Amino acid sequence: MPQKSAERDRCATGVEGLDTILYGGIPRSNTILLTGSCGTGKTSLALEFLIHGAMKDENSLYVSVTENSEKLLANVIPYRFFDKSLVKSGRLVFIDLPIMYERLGMTKSELGTEEIDLLVAAISDLAEELGIKRLVVDSITSVCYKLKTSEKIRDFILKLSKALSDLNCTSMLVGEVPASSNAYSTFGVEEAIADGIILMANMERRGDLLRTLQVIKMRGTMHSRAKYVLDLTPMGVLLVPLLKGGSTG
Amino acid sequence: MSPEQASAQDIAQELSEMPPASAASLQFSVDDYLEVIRGVLDLFANKKEMDTIYVTATISSEAIKRVLDALDIDTSRIYFVDCISHIMMGATSAQLDDHTTLVESPTMLENLMLKVEYLIKRSESKDKLVVIDSMNSLAIHNSNWILSEFLHILVSGLRSMEAYTVVFSVEEHSTPEINNLVSLVCDHVLRASKKEGRDEVH
Repeated sequence: MPQKSAERDRCATGVEGLDTILYGGIPRSNTILLTGSCGTGKTSLALEFLIHGAMKDENSLYVSVTENSEKLLANVIPYRFFDKSLVKSGRLVFIDLPIMYERLGMTKSELGTEEIDLLVAAISDLAEELGIKRLVVDSITSVCYKLKTSEKIRDFILKLSKALSDLNCTSMLVGEVPASSNAYSTFGVEEAIADGIILMANMERRGDLLRTLQVIKMRGTMHSRAKYVLDLTPMGVLLVPLLKGGSTG
Repeated sequence: MSPEQASAQDIAQELSEMPPASAASLQFSVDDYLEVIRGVLDLFANKKEMDTIYVTATISSEAIKRVLDALDIDTSRIYFVDCISHIMMGATSAQLDDHTTLVESPTMLENLMLKVEYLIKRSESKDKLVVIDSMNSLAIHNSNWILSEFLHILVSGLRSMEAYTVVFSVEEHSTPEINNLVSLVCDHVLRASKKEGRDEVH
């Protein structure tokens, strides 16, 4: 009789609906691309993923690329389960990548191959030092703009995801795509390397604008590929199935 | 299940005996509309001290609150999901309180479900009731196909959360198709029959 393969350890996102879609959560140590256009709830979902991790004593790191983390915290939904002591105790850590660039002397608008290695090493060293088990880079697209070429983007994401995976860290790379785009990423490279893709979108139906979420791929687990409608609430991200009777797409 | 003809007292008795996770369809005449609202909310929110989520697609939550206030009914346990004020351009800042959640349009059925789920998760009450007012109002804005799907998912979800569901239908504005789709998902189908004098749901 064939031996049943060992079940992958899961990193439950804490978003009830998403964990149901993923049959329990993201396979641990995977790197996934959380992508979508602006205003679709990517940052809120990523932040909730980290907060739930920190609440379960998994040290969590948010690498902010575009927005100052203080401003981010001020604008974030007032989650009822968010306890500021998670930040004070170091369970939930925020760093601003521009400050890291500065400290590493990366002042040029384009990063070279050596600088990519330096940046990956800096992030993974920090993750190791802090015992990080969940990490978010928001957004990977902004980092990619400093890399310019597909080869360098591929190199950076591959090295970063390998380094984080070696630390048993589950990571979310937040990607931005234009609202009109059908692609999963701006540079067309990110989705090929990531272990999973969660696509968030705005869907117009008869003049109503709905926020949707769809898991396109997730290595290491079965998952639903259906489209869900989501709401950002103080109780966290909530999901319900998109009603097919009104679907336009 | 065929609808049972019952007096308001019988209906009140049936509703109070429903086990948790039950769903009931309540069909009544337009003349009894306010009386039914009063009776159901008084029974569940006040007498049974149950947090009640009232989804209104018929008249605005403000209008219902005014009626309840006039009838001296405590509304502290009643939370409204108002699907009609926004579309009527009647949403006011006064409605943006802890007891009222607005849905932009009654066509946004998924958002309606999400708001109900949010309020249920937020509630600290052991038992919860969700009132849908009403299927015939939702049917003005949605096809029967999507309504049927909506009701099935909503009621199944509420059952899994052990919440009670009461679905209103106004007889004069309903159709056999709407009645059928409601009776498919509800355990009890109750039809209020007006007898002599004024019946009330106690």
